[in-house]
Amino acid sequence: MSKEKQLTERESLDLIATMISKAKDSYHDTGIGAIMWGALIAICSIVKLSEIHFEYQLPFDIYLLTFLAIIPQVLITIREKKERKVKSFDDSYMDYIWLGFGIGIFLLIFIINVIFNVWGPVATEYRQLAGHRSAFQFSEFISPLFLLLYGLPTFITGAACKFRPMLWGGLFCWVCCIATLFTSIKADLLLTAASAIIAWLIPGILMEREYRNYKKEQAALHV
Amino acid sequence: MFKDLDPILHSQLRLAVISLLISVKEAEFTFLREKTNATAGNLSVQIQKLREAGYIDVIKQFKDNYPQTICKITPQGITAFEEYVKNLQSYLGSGT
Repeated sequence: MSKEKQLTERESLDLIATMISKAKDSYHDTGIGAIMWGALIAICSIVKLSEIHFEYQLPFDIYLLTFLAIIPQVLITIREKKERKVKSFDDSYMDYIWLGFGIGIFLLIFIINVIFNVWGPVATEYRQLAGHRSAFQFSEFISPLFLLLYGLPTFITGAACKFRPMLWGGLFCWVCCIATLFTSIKADLLLTAASAIIAWLIPGILMEREYRNYKKEQAALHV
Repeated sequence: MFKDLDPILHSQLRLAVISLLISVKEAEFTFLREKTNATAGNLSVQIQKLREAGYIDVIKQFKDNYPQTICKITPQGITAFEEYVKNLQSYLGSGT
């Protein structure tokens, strides 16, 4: 488009359609954040499962790694925002959705800790009086709460960005949310790991591949 | 009776720029150049014309010590674009 050209009406409409489609095709997520969180949650769940199954205990709670992962996530977000040459209307909504999700997760952890502090003495007293553990184990009902939250931003992102692997990933989290209500804690952890892989790790890998292809195409155009 | 097409928008490069900006919240100059394949000089001139018409806002700032130009469509630009598309459709609908 180096010269001014007088357009016909048809050419004008075609140009508008082409440019709108080019603009829509311009934003590609690197997928690194999704890969990191998917892998991390899957690893944490599997390590926790192995602790229960093989009856050993790590000197620290493996889920503390999720707090550490906030640092690389912040760095990834800053770098991605710096590299981005265009801001879409969806960007700010998506940022708020995932920020809200993060806050929701930490509130849930806080709520669970408060409940454990109240429930712990009651469970101990019950065991002393009845001579056996209570049939109700609160820990059996933690995974469904997390899976409920995991599904929400994943499903919204998948639907809003028309990225089906994430949409299906969000739905998978909710299916697992229902399933974990009726399964043992070991199965809960396994389903949580599967959800993290299907909702974030696999879509993240697909996004990363798409991003790399886009970068290659762009590089080829500028040779 | 057909309305005349807006002369500001009825130009290949300016229409391309406005069509890109209508789809996004804001875009860098380099993004517009990349998508339109225009030369920097020509694009600057056309962006200036769109800015003078009040169709876009141009923000000049520094990012990592490099100058950065950000373009954003204005409400006036959105109205003009919608009107332009409506007029185009009426021309095409009439079979001309």
